[in-house]
Amino acid sequence: MPYDAQAVRRLVARGKQWDKVFVIAGLLCLMVGVLTLALLLAGLIHDGAGRLNWEFFSNFPSRRAERAGILSAMVGSSLVMLVTALAAIPLGIAAGVYLEEYARRNWVTEIIEINVTNLAGVPSIIYGLLALSLFVYGMGFGQSILSAGLTLALLILPVIIVSTREAIRAIPGSIREGAYALGATRWQTVRDHVVPYSTGGILTGVIIGLARAIGETAPIITIGALTFIAFLPPAPLGAEFPFLSFEWLRSPFTVMPIQMFNWLSRPQAAFQENAAAAGVVLVVMTLLMNAAAIWLRARYRKRIKW
Amino acid sequence: MDMSAGVIAGQAADAGMPPLKAQASELEFFYGEVQALKRVSMPVAANRVTALIGPSGCGKSTFLRCFNRMHDLYDGSRYSGQIVFQPDGVNILDRAVDPIEVRMRIGMVFQKPNPFPKSIFENVAYGLRVRGERSRRVMAEKVEVALRDASLWEEVSDRLDDMAFNLSGGQQQRLCIARALATEPELMLFDEPTSALDPIATANIEELIHRLKDKVTILIVTHNMQQAARVSDYTAFMYLGELVEFGDTNLIFTNPKSKRTEDYITGRYG
Amino acid sequence: MTLGKDDIGHHISQQYNQELENLRSHVLHMGGVVERQIADAISALEDGDTQLAASVVGGDLQVNALELNLDEECSRILARRQPAAGDLRLIFAVIKTVTDLERIGDQAERVARTVLELANVEPGRSRPPMRHMGDLARRLLNKALDAFARMDVAAALEVEREDMAVDQEYEAILRQLMTYMMEDPRTITWALNLVWAARAMERIGDHSKNIAEYVIYLVQGKDVRHVSIEERERRVQGDMPGQPPTA
Repeated sequence: MPYDAQAVRRLVARGKQWDKVFVIAGLLCLMVGVLTLALLLAGLIHDGAGRLNWEFFSNFPSRRAERAGILSAMVGSSLVMLVTALAAIPLGIAAGVYLEEYARRNWVTEIIEINVTNLAGVPSIIYGLLALSLFVYGMGFGQSILSAGLTLALLILPVIIVSTREAIRAIPGSIREGAYALGATRWQTVRDHVVPYSTGGILTGVIIGLARAIGETAPIITIGALTFIAFLPPAPLGAEFPFLSFEWLRSPFTVMPIQMFNWLSRPQAAFQENAAAAGVVLVVMTLLMNAAAIWLRARYRKRIKW
Repeated sequence: MDMSAGVIAGQAADAGMPPLKAQASELEFFYGEVQALKRVSMPVAANRVTALIGPSGCGKSTFLRCFNRMHDLYDGSRYSGQIVFQPDGVNILDRAVDPIEVRMRIGMVFQKPNPFPKSIFENVAYGLRVRGERSRRVMAEKVEVALRDASLWEEVSDRLDDMAFNLSGGQQQRLCIARALATEPELMLFDEPTSALDPIATANIEELIHRLKDKVTILIVTHNMQQAARVSDYTAFMYLGELVEFGDTNLIFTNPKSKRTEDYITGRYG
Repeated sequence: MTLGKDDIGHHISQQYNQELENLRSHVLHMGGVVERQIADAISALEDGDTQLAASVVGGDLQVNALELNLDEECSRILARRQPAAGDLRLIFAVIKTVTDLERIGDQAERVARTVLELANVEPGRSRPPMRHMGDLARRLLNKALDAFARMDVAAALEVEREDMAVDQEYEAILRQLMTYMMEDPRTITWALNLVWAARAMERIGDHSKNIAEYVIYLVQGKDVRHVSIEERERRVQGDMPGQPPTA
């Protein structure tokens, strides 16, 4: 059959039109999400930018809106995040490594796996209830940073476990076989290869988990974070022996979302501004953490190309 | 004129083969219910290259991996029969023998180069670390020897701390060979080592295998018959999990005893 | 293993099958041409037919051309197909056979040349019968080519045995001609030419025997050149069907 250039050209042109349609549709969908976020942020900044000054960051909350600051909330959030990280990271990584490398594939492991994934979907307030009975009363940690940190650790544990497993699964079997073929034991393979090569993925999961935890309000409220804290927890480092103190773990505290909530529920417009300003800070912190996760992932991807 | 593999192997041994490094006897292997190897008996001559050829799915890689107990890493695998390793006369398939110990004496190079995402030095030194070597000086010496044996030293001696991934495919494979050699194994297993490489890299590695014979016994699986003809002293032809014929490479390629071997070698059968 | 006539083809590559088939038929064609040369040369000798002799001399050019073509064909197959086992032995056997066929062609040409020489020479006594020996030699070649075509080791072995008959006839003719030369020196030129013709036929027998040896190598992978007939048969018999295998 002789080559019909016209027909082919028409066919290609029609295909290309659909290309254009999809590009436009995709862009529109993307814009919906991006614009919503941008508008939210713009709204927050518009309302709260005026309050963002050094005093806002260094003042305690106060009944006078213009003198209220987020110092205790920020410190509280940071300390709670610290406890969360210290608790969730080793537990999550160890659990992920165990499930991927050591556990045999039988019905017990299946059940564990299903439950871990389900945990990620449990409403966070349920974690609060659990924490109340387990940490606050059961173990007697009281309404403290320790309880809050452990609660949030439980919350983000599934995220870390799953991302650890995904990162480990990304390691090609040929690398493992290479290590075993050299006479490595299972522990040596895990220690020298599996964990180091999945660090990128693990870290990403950790940061995403923490970014989520920083904004969690329900469980913290449930275990009784107070909303008007005009003091800081005792410093961990002291001038006298023993130089390291753990008193701060048992201290009452507040966190950023709760502080925002508190200001929002006040009628005065000035407090609304404060809330907006705190919201900006919170969003920026979250965005920074997510950016750090992306940067880390890109950096590790450069070193390790599977 | 098909003779049973055991008889053929027996004849080979009587016909004046050099001392053996290993001997597989009535080896069978099962993946769950599926039998992948059927009563394979084959000698492995010391300081010689033995090639395993055969169509896809004939069991040559499965057979190779029995030697360093790689199948133990996966559930559902079962061995029967023996592989007796000299000079101690131990059956390395015995459950009582620790696979880690076996892998300490037998090295393996894989089809697709699989260097660790570490530096060149760390790649080659890993086997030494696993064996508890701590002295940096000793490791540096052994790494150099291994890289020289693998014909890679000239090209990387000035950048040992570079990431292994920056090397070309052929260089990576030589790195993997150096990595396996660093621990001074007695037997080296090559699983289609050049099938992912271009002709020049392939030729380099074949030359390297030839020179390594003096130090190590070599067992190589290849789907490239001409490679088997070029590189090996003895050739074994496998088909559907059985050893069909084993013999001197010269004889196998000029006048094989079995029609199945003849058909495969001359391209009458894929 | 023993190669059979039906084992040559059946490669996955049809093109390769065709190439090998072409090779075999070209060899047999060259064999046919050479056979006819021999037949013509012997007739020319018997009948003193100088015209026929001249055409035999001219026909040798065709034989040479066939040799060149076949060598090139073999070289092509070696380069492109890297033949192994039975295929390799086939190429090897063909190359060797072609050389011997070309030499046979040369011998036939030599016989023809003696016919042309003898035309200028006074005939001596009654000529010793050379037709029989010539026919023997030609039939040896025919048999060797047949053994090649049918990959028949038994036929190849017969060729080797029957070559002895050719040698014996040569001895007889030689003695007779030497007697003539001693008795009457005027017949020397005539007799010498006949000696050369006889010698050429004896050489044809030897070359045919060579071809038979290549057939045995092709079929069984055993090199039986330069050994005695008894040793040859012993080596070959071991792998004949119906016999117990030897080492």
